[in-house]
Amino acid sequence: MKTKLLLIALTTLCTGALFADESPAVGSAAPDFSLPSAHGKTETLSKFIGKYVVLEWFNPGCPFVQKHYKSDNMQNLQKEFTGKGVVWLTIDSSATGEEGNLSPAGAIKQMEDWKMHSTALLLDADGKVGHEYGATNTPHMFVINPKGEVIYKGAIDSVRSTEISDIKGATNYVKAALTEAMAGKPVEPATTKAYGCSVKYAP
Amino acid sequence: MVIHRVNSLRRVAPALLFLVLALTPHSLRAQKFEGRELVHARLIADTTALVAGKPFSVGLLLKMEPTWHTYWQYPGDAGIPTEIKWHLPEGWKVGAMQWPVPLKLSEPGDIQIYGYHDEVLLLTQLTPPATLPGQSVRLAGDADWLVCAKICIPGNGKVQLDLPVGPTGTAANAQLFEKYRAQLPKPLPSAASAAIKWTRAAKAFRLTIADKSLSGKGDADFFPLPDPATVLGHPRREQTTDGSTVFTIPFEAAAASVQSLAGLLVFDGQAWSLGTSVAGPADEAVSASAPVAANAPFSGGLLKFLLFGFIGGFILNLMPCVLPVISLKIFGFIQHADDSRGKIFGNGLAFTAGIFAWFIGLALLMISLKAAGHQITWAFQFTNPIFVVVMSAVVLVFALNLFGVFEITLSSSATTGLLGWTAQEGYAGSFFQGVFATVLATPCTAPFLGSALGFAFAASAGVILLMFAAIALGMSAPYLLLTAQPAWLRFLPRPGAWMVAVKQFMGFLLIATLLFLLWVLGAERGPEAIVWTGAFLLALSIACWMKGTFSTPTASFFQRAFVFVLMLLLVLASGYYFIGEKFNATKTAALSLTKGDWVAFSPERLQTELAQGHSVFVDFTAAWCITCKFNEASVLETEAVKSAFTRYGIVKMKADWTNADPVITKTLQQFGRVGVPFYVLYSANDPAKPIVLPELLTQTLVLDHLQSTAPKVAAAP
Repeated sequence: MKTKLLLIALTTLCTGALFADESPAVGSAAPDFSLPSAHGKTETLSKFIGKYVVLEWFNPGCPFVQKHYKSDNMQNLQKEFTGKGVVWLTIDSSATGEEGNLSPAGAIKQMEDWKMHSTALLLDADGKVGHEYGATNTPHMFVINPKGEVIYKGAIDSVRSTEISDIKGATNYVKAALTEAMAGKPVEPATTKAYGCSVKYAP
Repeated sequence: MVIHRVNSLRRVAPALLFLVLALTPHSLRAQKFEGRELVHARLIADTTALVAGKPFSVGLLLKMEPTWHTYWQYPGDAGIPTEIKWHLPEGWKVGAMQWPVPLKLSEPGDIQIYGYHDEVLLLTQLTPPATLPGQSVRLAGDADWLVCAKICIPGNGKVQLDLPVGPTGTAANAQLFEKYRAQLPKPLPSAASAAIKWTRAAKAFRLTIADKSLSGKGDADFFPLPDPATVLGHPRREQTTDGSTVFTIPFEAAAASVQSLAGLLVFDGQAWSLGTSVAGPADEAVSASAPVAANAPFSGGLLKFLLFGFIGGFILNLMPCVLPVISLKIFGFIQHADDSRGKIFGNGLAFTAGIFAWFIGLALLMISLKAAGHQITWAFQFTNPIFVVVMSAVVLVFALNLFGVFEITLSSSATTGLLGWTAQEGYAGSFFQGVFATVLATPCTAPFLGSALGFAFAASAGVILLMFAAIALGMSAPYLLLTAQPAWLRFLPRPGAWMVAVKQFMGFLLIATLLFLLWVLGAERGPEAIVWTGAFLLALSIACWMKGTFSTPTASFFQRAFVFVLMLLLVLASGYYFIGEKFNATKTAALSLTKGDWVAFSPERLQTELAQGHSVFVDFTAAWCITCKFNEASVLETEAVKSAFTRYGIVKMKADWTNADPVITKTLQQFGRVGVPFYVLYSANDPAKPIVLPELLTQTLVLDHLQSTAPKVAAAP
């Protein structure tokens, strides 16, 4: 038991040192990145300056992600806001061999199967962008304003569960953040605790 | 039939969609993945039978496949905690889930979670209602959990357990309950609480534990339990050079009012819980923080609190249950006004000594209990029903003595008043009267005593002793003054036959006190307890009558000896049967003080209500607390106050401390209090700054405070 705890502590220390990147705080500049999309295009965050951007961490195998896609909750949100000029980037940081890791072809099929309305599904198998943003959960949501600052990060909504029936009574924080920001109001809450499966980074 | 559901993993393993129907007599539930059962969920109880009104524990036993884990109440970076939604018959009370110490687990990518491998028992205390109809009861609940290894699968299922209803239950599943109870976090000893300091910086909370004994513990860790709106990073232990242990807990979001975190201090495989310190109003905070700051800032504070103790002790004389003893004492002084000055003063001193003996004895008992790590409180002895039974017996015997049913004689030659009303009153009589008056005085914390005692209880042994001495001095001051200056006795009326009438009348006051004590017993142990105590008291009365009628000083020695043996037999046999057998079989907490639109207090419920933006008023009360009853009848239950509660949408919570509920004790201690009454109002406008109300309430005061919780509305344009 002691040795096990010690090993865990050591692993924690090592990984802590490796991935010491701080998640960008609300109000600070969103780190720029370029990632290949399922359709083979390279998407760069800084190209979207002047627009609202949503980053959505994704893993189709995760029951929390499934909750929001099987209920069409996520697709409706994507549809509503991309219709208002918002850029919606869905990012898959599952490492090769881990749950939710997608090939470009698999990713396209996934988008079709679930009728996703993201601007793009980006593949981040080495977890670089995930680490830069400190993404720990799927789903884990970030909202970036036209100036390139993070204005919301955290959970998709207020009820932490895998039950589709819970969506109805929940406050959707991403919707609230975008609506408030577009109306020139301060975003509240701006930081929440994300809930979901852990992002399946490479061991 | 119940369907156990595993949310689908269509994408990853399309073939793995299961509907598992597993029913065993113990409602065993399984969760299958690739042909393996991931989690067995089973409900077990620590008793073989349900006894009406008697709390017991159930446990949700989760057995996980190797490498799979379920989550703790704070899951860490990902995951969700296991939950049970109970389906119990009307009248059942459900406690908060008790979580054994979890493991801190790491996943790739610096993801840290808190959870359980292999097996865990999540405990919940259930309390059946005072009456249990039927032969058996089905305890059922919907359990929800998330189990993860490399991937996560949510599971849920109905768990249930049928238990027979009986007069008594014997322990069941003792090994499992023992194992997991040992893993529950323990309350932090008060000495250790004093060594803990929280500070909040721009982006992190800092927990400093100024205790060198921890510095050698390499595995010491802090597991946080943040409120839902607080977003935390990973706690980190800092290197220190002064022997203190420091944890930094970075945060990304926390309300401005959050100055500290609840959580567990974990080392050597054990855990101690740290509550959040609730900041009270400025002057109330003094009582909680001053003792921690050790000796330096005492001079001003200590004197002030000793003065409060003195005044509080003086006021104790006026408590309704003490008045008969006190007035009789005054009579004693009147009757002996012609005695020598020295003798009168001697009596006054003996009476004072009695008061001191009880208070100092109490102080020493508390100091030793405190040293042994117990949670101690003012009037704690009243939470013990046997103490109340003994008190009832003493009060009744005293009343019968006042009515003239019998006289107490220690020996035929020298008559000495033990309980205080015989022709020649000795110093011993005065001494015991002092003790007796003081014992009766404790059930209610008089004004001023609350904060003074709160101050003392958190302090060193010396300060506790000083504080109790101040209270004793306050209580005995009037008698000391009267007896030191017998000239003042002239202002009191002359002795005469009228004193017999007053004496008998005082007997009725004691019977009233007895009624109150019986009601306390009822609240603690149910109506049956009153009946059995009453039966014992009846036998005791007969014994007293036998003494007065047949064991007169003129009777022969043999007659007196025979009567004495009969009396002894009567008292012992009735005591053994009515109290030892019948009374002890009654169950606790049968009468609930929580009635009407009041809800029972629990810290969890409080947090939930506050999180939902409600204002909350908490009434800390006990059946044996007269001041509490007075406040409730004259203020809290009046129409004006009741309608104000409704108007401002304030949730009314009652914290019933009659049986010294440890959770309520802990909450009181967070406010630096050690007794009831205690009133606190959490305003939705500023829930982090609860308002502490005084111990004696008035309507105006409560209404003013209630009004302050009204939402602050911006003026209409």
